[in-house]
Amino acid sequence: MHKNPILRISTKILFAPIILFGLYVQFHGDFGPGGGFQAGVIVASAFILYSIVFGIEEGKKLFPSNINLILLALGGIIYGGVGFVSMILGDEFLSYNILGSSPQSGQHIGILLVEFGVGLTVSNVMIALFNAFASYNTIKEK
Amino acid sequence: MISELLINAFLVTIMLSISIALIKTRTVIFTVILTSAYSLVAALMFITLDAVDVAFTEASVGAGISTILFLAAMAYLPKKEEESINSQFIPALSCIILGGILIWCSYDLPEIGQLTAPIHQHIAPEYIRGSKEDIGIPNIVTSVLASYRGYDTFGETIVVFTAGVAVLMLLENKNPVKKNKSQPKQKFKKNA
Repeated sequence: MHKNPILRISTKILFAPIILFGLYVQFHGDFGPGGGFQAGVIVASAFILYSIVFGIEEGKKLFPSNINLILLALGGIIYGGVGFVSMILGDEFLSYNILGSSPQSGQHIGILLVEFGVGLTVSNVMIALFNAFASYNTIKEK
Repeated sequence: MISELLINAFLVTIMLSISIALIKTRTVIFTVILTSAYSLVAALMFITLDAVDVAFTEASVGAGISTILFLAAMAYLPKKEEESINSQFIPALSCIILGGILIWCSYDLPEIGQLTAPIHQHIAPEYIRGSKEDIGIPNIVTSVLASYRGYDTFGETIVVFTAGVAVLMLLENKNPVKKNKSQPKQKFKKNA
């Protein structure tokens, strides 16, 4: 853990706005630049910043590894699940028209869910990779 | 027009000087930081080409997260890169020939933003029209990414997932073996 108070306090101040910006990029991707990939990376960067400043153990307390691994797989499942739901409802795989009352609202719901799945997978893969690299050293030392 | 040329010349000069510095440096941390700076300039380059989504991705992934992952991985590398003993003549020659061929081919490319270019005639008009009418989303990039090319993005997500899981398996290989070895011993003691 860093003892420098400027680093610690600015991390605590920045943590929530970074996640807020990530969510903005995630759900505003239909209207402006952004989407699941970028938002996932931004949200992951908030958790990684926390882990860098307060140490990897504190970071794992904030965001446990087992939840991280479950969410990592859940993103892909949400993406594929949207495809299968549209198949069950009688359309083609990943054809969103049938999901809503009108084709346009169906497309809207489908794109939102699919982007959410992408964001979930990307952010959790990044956090898991950082944790794996950062804690590899401690395993070696033991 | 002249301002655009000036901006492009400025960015290309920075990119060139960063790449020359990258060739020269032998310290790993400088390599990581220069790669990050290169990505940031590349993101600015994409903005001048009006590709805001790509610029956003380049800035967050290329300059942001990959730098952090490189820094995290750097702890297991020696601090300095070893000087190469082999002759640099053949790699340099192949680079110059390949670069020459690419520059020669670039003369055949249509001008940037030209409407009659084949890439703007094939399926792009259909996407530009359909994004407004069929999907109802102002950002065409998102509608192509998530709806028209939903299969590709699904593949990309699975690739990210698979790559992440593969790295996790490689790095966490040592941990479970130790646990498995220690667990039977404890059970044995309890039984005894």
